[in-house]
Amino acid sequence: MPGQPDLDSLRSPDLRAEYAYAHIMKDRLTVLRYIARKIVGWFLMIAIATNLTYFLANAFLKPASNYTALRPPRTPAQINRSLALYNLNPNKPITDRWWHWISQIVTHFDWGQSPTGGSVNDQVAYRIFVSGQLVLGSTILSIVIGVGLGVYTASRQYKASDRVLQGFSVLSFNTPSAVASLGVVFAAIALNQALGSTLLPVAGAQSPDVSGFWSVFGSRATHAILPTISLTFISYAGYHLLQRSLLLDHINSDYVRTARAKGLTRKQAIYRHGLRTSIIPVATQVAFAMPALFTGAVITETVFAWHGMGEYFTKTISTNDVHGVVAVAAFGALMTAIGAILADLAVVALDPRIRVS
Amino acid sequence: MPGVGPDAEQTHPDESVAREAGKTGSGGKRLSPSKLYMRRFARNKPALGGLILFVLLVLFSLFGPYLTHWDYMEADFTALSVPPGVDGHLLGTNGAGNDVYAQLVHGLGRSLIIAVTVSLLTTAIAGLFGTTAAYFGGKIERAMLGFVHFLLILPSFLIIALVGTRFRGEWQVLVLVLTLFGWMLTARVIWSLATSLREREYVLAARFMGVSAMRTIVRHLVPNIGSLLIVTFTLGVASTVQAETALSFIGFGVKQPDVSLGSMLADGQNTLSTAPWLFYLPAALVVLLTVAMALIGDGLRDALDPTSQSGGRA
Repeated sequence: MPGQPDLDSLRSPDLRAEYAYAHIMKDRLTVLRYIARKIVGWFLMIAIATNLTYFLANAFLKPASNYTALRPPRTPAQINRSLALYNLNPNKPITDRWWHWISQIVTHFDWGQSPTGGSVNDQVAYRIFVSGQLVLGSTILSIVIGVGLGVYTASRQYKASDRVLQGFSVLSFNTPSAVASLGVVFAAIALNQALGSTLLPVAGAQSPDVSGFWSVFGSRATHAILPTISLTFISYAGYHLLQRSLLLDHINSDYVRTARAKGLTRKQAIYRHGLRTSIIPVATQVAFAMPALFTGAVITETVFAWHGMGEYFTKTISTNDVHGVVAVAAFGALMTAIGAILADLAVVALDPRIRVS
Repeated sequence: MPGVGPDAEQTHPDESVAREAGKTGSGGKRLSPSKLYMRRFARNKPALGGLILFVLLVLFSLFGPYLTHWDYMEADFTALSVPPGVDGHLLGTNGAGNDVYAQLVHGLGRSLIIAVTVSLLTTAIAGLFGTTAAYFGGKIERAMLGFVHFLLILPSFLIIALVGTRFRGEWQVLVLVLTLFGWMLTARVIWSLATSLREREYVLAARFMGVSAMRTIVRHLVPNIGSLLIVTFTLGVASTVQAETALSFIGFGVKQPDVSLGSMLADGQNTLSTAPWLFYLPAALVVLLTVAMALIGDGLRDALDPTSQSGGRA
C-alpha cells in the first residue's frame, strides 16, 4: 500500500486509531465516487434510450387512429386539432414536439398525455408499485433459490440430486414465460377445483371488496403468490446454472484446499472461500437479467390481469399512446440501471480489489 | 476457441490412443475431426435425445400437413371447441372451429422457420462484426464496441413490439426486427474471444503476407471460432423461439390468419378450464422445441471443446 507510514511513528494507540479511521474514510470516499460515476453514466444512458424511444414511437405509432373510429366521423383537421392539445399533432415538426415534451419533463416532471387525454403520470404512479412489488419479489426469490441450488448442486457434482435439479433447471430456463404463467394458472385452477374453494386467486392484484389495512394486505399477498411463482420459475434457473459452473471452477482451486488444510470443514471452506469469489459474476448477472425479467413481467401481468407497467406496455402500444410508450421505456431503463448499481454495490462489498484500485 | 479445427489433433492428448485403437480395429483409418466430434456428441445421452427430438419436430412440421385433410385457416362451424378425437378432429378444434392439429403443424413450422432464420442471421452478423472489431483493434474496435453497447441499452423488446405492431403480423418483418436487435450480446462475446486470435501466428502471417483484411477475417478468424458460432446458433434458436412466443402471445408478433405457437397460446389462455387442450398442446410443443435446442447446444459445446472432459475420452 503506498503511503504506508512508518510503524514507529504510530506507536501511540491514538495515532494508530486515527490513521485507521482516516483510511476507512478514504476507502468510503473512493467507493462513493465510484458509485457516483456509475450513476451519472447510467443517467446518461437512460436519457439517450428515452429520447430515442420518443422518436421511434413517433415514427411507428399513429395516435390519429384513436379518433378515426369515432362516430360521428371527424375530418383530419379536427383530429389534428384534438391531438394538438396533447402535443401529438403530426403536422407540427417533430423537433418542436420533442422540445415541448422534454421541457415539460425537465421543468414539471410531466410525462405528457395519452392521445385521448389521460395523464401518463397518473397511470405510471400506481402501476410502478404493482410492477415493482412483482419484479423485486421474484428477483430476490430467484437469487436466493438460484444461488442456494447452485451451491448445493456444485458440492454434489454428478450425484443424483445434482442431475435431477439441473435437469429441472434446464427445463424451466427454457420454458417461455407465457407457458410458465399459463401453466401456473392451470395448476392453480385444478387445485382450487379439487379443494372446492378459491385458495389461490388467479386474477387481479387484490380483491375488489376488501377494506382495512390487514385484510387488504392479506388479499394483496395471496394475489401476489402465483405471479411471483411464475416469474421466479423462469428466472431462478439462470442463477442456478451460472453459480454451479462458477463454483465448480473454484472448488478445486488452491486457496479452497488451503482453507481445508487449515482445518475448516468442507462446508466452511466452500461457503467462506469458494462462494465468495464465485458469487461476484453472479451479482453482475443480476443487472443483465433485468430486461428479461421485465419482458417476463409483461407476460405475467397480462396473464394474471395485473394493472402494472407490463400491462401498460401492451396497452400503450396497442392504443398508439406515444407518451405512455416512452414512459414504459424509461421505467425499463431505470430498472436496469437500479439493478446494475445494486450489482455494483454488491461487487464492491464482495471484491476487495475494487475497493483498493 | 483456440485449438479447435485442424490443429485440434495435435493438441489433444488422447488422440494418438484413439488413432491406434482405430488402426487395430478398422484397417488403419485415422479418425477425422468430424467423426471425433460425432462420437463425443453421441456419448452425451441428453444431447442425443435433444437431437432426435428436434429431428422429429422438424419432420412433424414438414410431413404433418399430409396426415389431415383440414387446413389451418379453414373453420369447421359444425364443431366449435370440440375436445380431441371428436368429429374427426384428431386434436380437437378451437373456439372458431379451426382444427388444432392443422394449426399446431403450421404454427410449429412458422415458429421453426422464424427461429432458424433469425438465429442464422444473428450468428452471421455477430461473427463478422465481432471478428472485424477484434482484427482491426484500436479506434475502429472502440467505435464498433461503443455501437454495440449503445444498442444494448436500447429497450429492444419495446422497439420490436413497436415495429411489429406497425406491420401487422408479417413474419418476415418479425424476422428482420428480431435480427436487428438480437445480435449484439453474441457479437460482444465473439469479440472477446477473437481478441486472443488476432495475436496468433497464422493471423500475423496472413497480415504480413499482405492478405486483405476481409479475406483474413473470413478465412482465418471466423473458421477458428466456428465451434463457438455453431453453439451460439443452436442456443439462439431456443432464445428466438422464446422471444417470438412472447411477442405473439401479447399480440405484437404473428397475427391472424397466420398462426405460430405463441399466438396459439394466446388463444388458449382464456379457455384454460373449459378447453385446456388449446393450452397444453402448443405449450408442450414449444417447451419440447426450446429444451431440445438447449440440450443440443450444450452437447455441441462439450463435443467441440477439446479441453472439455464431459464428452469422455477422445
